[in-house]
Amino acid sequence: MNCEVCQLKELEVEHFEIREVLRCILHTIVFHRALGLVRPKDIDLELFEITYVQCGDIELEKKIDEKIEQFVSWVEKHPNKKSQICLSFYEVKSKQQLWFSHKNERLYWEQWHVNLTVAQHQKGHPGKPHHPKVIVDPGESAPEERSMRRAALEASLREVLFQIIKFVNEKKDHVPLIPEGIYFPYEITIPSSSDSAFGMDMLKRMLQTPPPPMLS
Amino acid sequence: MSSSHNNAHSEAAKMEQIITEFLAKSLHIILESRSTYVSSRNFSGEQIVSSPSSSSSSSSSVRPRDKWFNLALRECPAALENLDLWHQSNSDPIVVDVVLVQRPVGWDNLSPRRELVRNLSSKERYPYCCNSDQEDFCYEAKSEKIIERWVVHYESRKIRDGNLGPGSRRSSNTLSTLYKKSILLLRSLYATVRLLPAYKIFRDLNSSGQIRSCTLSHRVSSFVEPFTRKEEAEMQRFGFTPVDTSCGRLCLSVLYRSSLSEMGSEPSTPMSPQFIPDYVGSPLIDPLKRFPSLPVPHGSPSSLPFSRRHSWSFDPFKASPPSISFSPSPTRSEPHAPVFNPEPHAPVFNPSSRRYPPVSLPPHQHETSLTHKQNTGFDECYPTPAFSSNPSSSSPIHIPGSNPSKSLLRSESAPVPIPTAKHAYSRTLFNKQNLPPSPPLKIITSDISKNDENMGPTLSGATSDKFFLGKDDSRKYSGVKLSSNSSPRISFSRSSSRSFQDDYDDPEFPCPFDVEDDDITDPGSRPESFDKKGNQCEQLEPGGLFPIKKSQDAAVGALVRLLKKAPPLRQDFSRLINLSEASKPETRSNSIQVHNQISGAVAVQHTSSSVASSGLFASKTTAEALEELRGYKEMKSLLISQSCKSYTSANCAFAAEP
Repeated sequence: MNCEVCQLKELEVEHFEIREVLRCILHTIVFHRALGLVRPKDIDLELFEITYVQCGDIELEKKIDEKIEQFVSWVEKHPNKKSQICLSFYEVKSKQQLWFSHKNERLYWEQWHVNLTVAQHQKGHPGKPHHPKVIVDPGESAPEERSMRRAALEASLREVLFQIIKFVNEKKDHVPLIPEGIYFPYEITIPSSSDSAFGMDMLKRMLQTPPPPMLS
Repeated sequence: MSSSHNNAHSEAAKMEQIITEFLAKSLHIILESRSTYVSSRNFSGEQIVSSPSSSSSSSSSVRPRDKWFNLALRECPAALENLDLWHQSNSDPIVVDVVLVQRPVGWDNLSPRRELVRNLSSKERYPYCCNSDQEDFCYEAKSEKIIERWVVHYESRKIRDGNLGPGSRRSSNTLSTLYKKSILLLRSLYATVRLLPAYKIFRDLNSSGQIRSCTLSHRVSSFVEPFTRKEEAEMQRFGFTPVDTSCGRLCLSVLYRSSLSEMGSEPSTPMSPQFIPDYVGSPLIDPLKRFPSLPVPHGSPSSLPFSRRHSWSFDPFKASPPSISFSPSPTRSEPHAPVFNPEPHAPVFNPSSRRYPPVSLPPHQHETSLTHKQNTGFDECYPTPAFSSNPSSSSPIHIPGSNPSKSLLRSESAPVPIPTAKHAYSRTLFNKQNLPPSPPLKIITSDISKNDENMGPTLSGATSDKFFLGKDDSRKYSGVKLSSNSSPRISFSRSSSRSFQDDYDDPEFPCPFDVEDDDITDPGSRPESFDKKGNQCEQLEPGGLFPIKKSQDAAVGALVRLLKKAPPLRQDFSRLINLSEASKPETRSNSIQVHNQISGAVAVQHTSSSVASSGLFASKTTAEALEELRGYKEMKSLLISQSCKSYTSANCAFAAEP
């Protein structure tokens, strides 16, 4: 089975924006892979004028939030790094293993790579004295920059969402038939303290791929 | 359709069913997030509740349809209503036009006093308008613009029978694949609908209980009404990847206005109410109109240049801000009441109507005549707001009745209100400009509508006509009646008629007339003006004599009018200065008054003084006024250039002007 890979456009976010951006992206992807009965839930982002869709599944929400928290803590330990979160969908096939002890093997059929760069912008601190006439001149350059940046990020995020939608539209053949559950089995991978984690994942996957015909 | 070919009838029937359900689901998804009375977001909007259609149509019982494509949707009466039409044939495309309807309403918020007075009456009227977004529109002034066009259709390949041939095994396989892909397509549709600019409007409409200047309506038909090139240029297309079936494919695409977000966003940004009074109530315009000396009916378009001068004239007074810019956006925002003012076309410049200072100029009366009377009525209403410097205090009440005024205000929002200086200028302007419209708002509106027609593009008119045809056609073809919701046009005429009646009914109404004669502000007059407008508009529209071009033209016309009407900045500036300079306010105002000679000046002063009381207001207003001026200048140049190109005749005249 083909494993389609979608590299999402890189987003430059500030720390406080990580959660919303990731939630928005991850839920949108999962929603498109939730082929079971879904009662969609609209979520309005607080930081952006964007509405995305959740499946309305609490478990899913928890799992995603959990991963996001892990990612946030990783980012705190590894500032100024580009980071990637990987959302993978797979099928589980029980295999008669001739060697190795894996009972179930994961057949990955799709991977989404969410690319983030966490900027370390120091926002204008409140300490900065404003003109006494606050009312008259509420806006300074700093707020303007911020709003500009925010708008740019919003546009980029919207772009990413459309990228997801387009991908979903264009690539349908590799998607397995409708799963029993609401969505296909998935996993979310974040960079771990040991940078090798991702590599490990790949290795694991390699091991899980079907053995060569000669062995069967 | 295609089923006949297939050996396995069941397969064919299943596929047919999937297609049918797909069309229905698509329509449901689209309308669920575009039809305001369906509150998909669990909105408790009053309007929504009141809307008759929603209540009647919605059935909360078990919905087997939810199981289709594993997508459970909220009730959407609009979708259900329209679904029946399409069940007959899968081969008919479903075309859903999402229309942004702008109403004059928004302005009322600005003028608290009036609102209060009118609220009761307005409420009575309003229900119709607000509730049934699609059908009933209270005011003709409203403008319509198609912001989205969804086309869902099944493209059958009957001709290629060969494809169907393959064994049943394959067909079964394709069925499940088809179903899976349909689900995927609908998922992406569901998400996409929420990412397009129109969704923001929908959301805001649902979220804010307040009266908005605009609403969303939709039209469902099986015909695609071609857009003009201009329109098309403004639209972006998003095509979903078609899903292949054994004998055709499911296609889904949307044309949408990407600029919508801008339009919508501007208004949405909450401006402080304080600003509004200054901007909005531009007494200038009205006074000018009133002047009897001025030859009323000239080419309205020509008037533009003059109006500009007025704006310029301001500068000298102020001295401080060299560039006076009417920024359209700010003005819009000011009104804030209307969350979205997506449409630039904004109906008429009402500002003038709004704020007539209670100046008593008997001579003016001559000019105004009937129209004036009506207009004056508006003025009366408006003055109150101007006086009340603190909008907040007044409690921004959104009175439905006020709506008309709102609409008016919007258009003019930009213009700065400077009453005194205006008069002199205004007179001159008047003579040159001409516009019958100038005096009373009503006239203006009518002019606009006329202009639009001339221009060809009046959106509302054009769209309605087109739609009409579409409806008729659809009816013929499908034999199904279109839901009232779907047909905006009908609502139009009705609404206008209703509004008129309502106005007359209003107790206030009588008063306005009296006032009008005097040129003094009449609270009651507003409604009349609207009515007139509505009448005029209606007449014009129904005639449909003029080829309707597009919204842009209309927008141009609106801008021109705005510019013309743009209140002289002088007064405002003087006000501002006074305010800022608190100590010297009177002197300046006095001088101004002298120049003006007009009795109205006094009234203006009063207003200014009130404004001055709140220093904040003044300062902000000036700055904003400047910005607005700039914006307007830019807009002007753009529009003029455009207008020149597109229109040769009357339009050109004003375009030529600076």
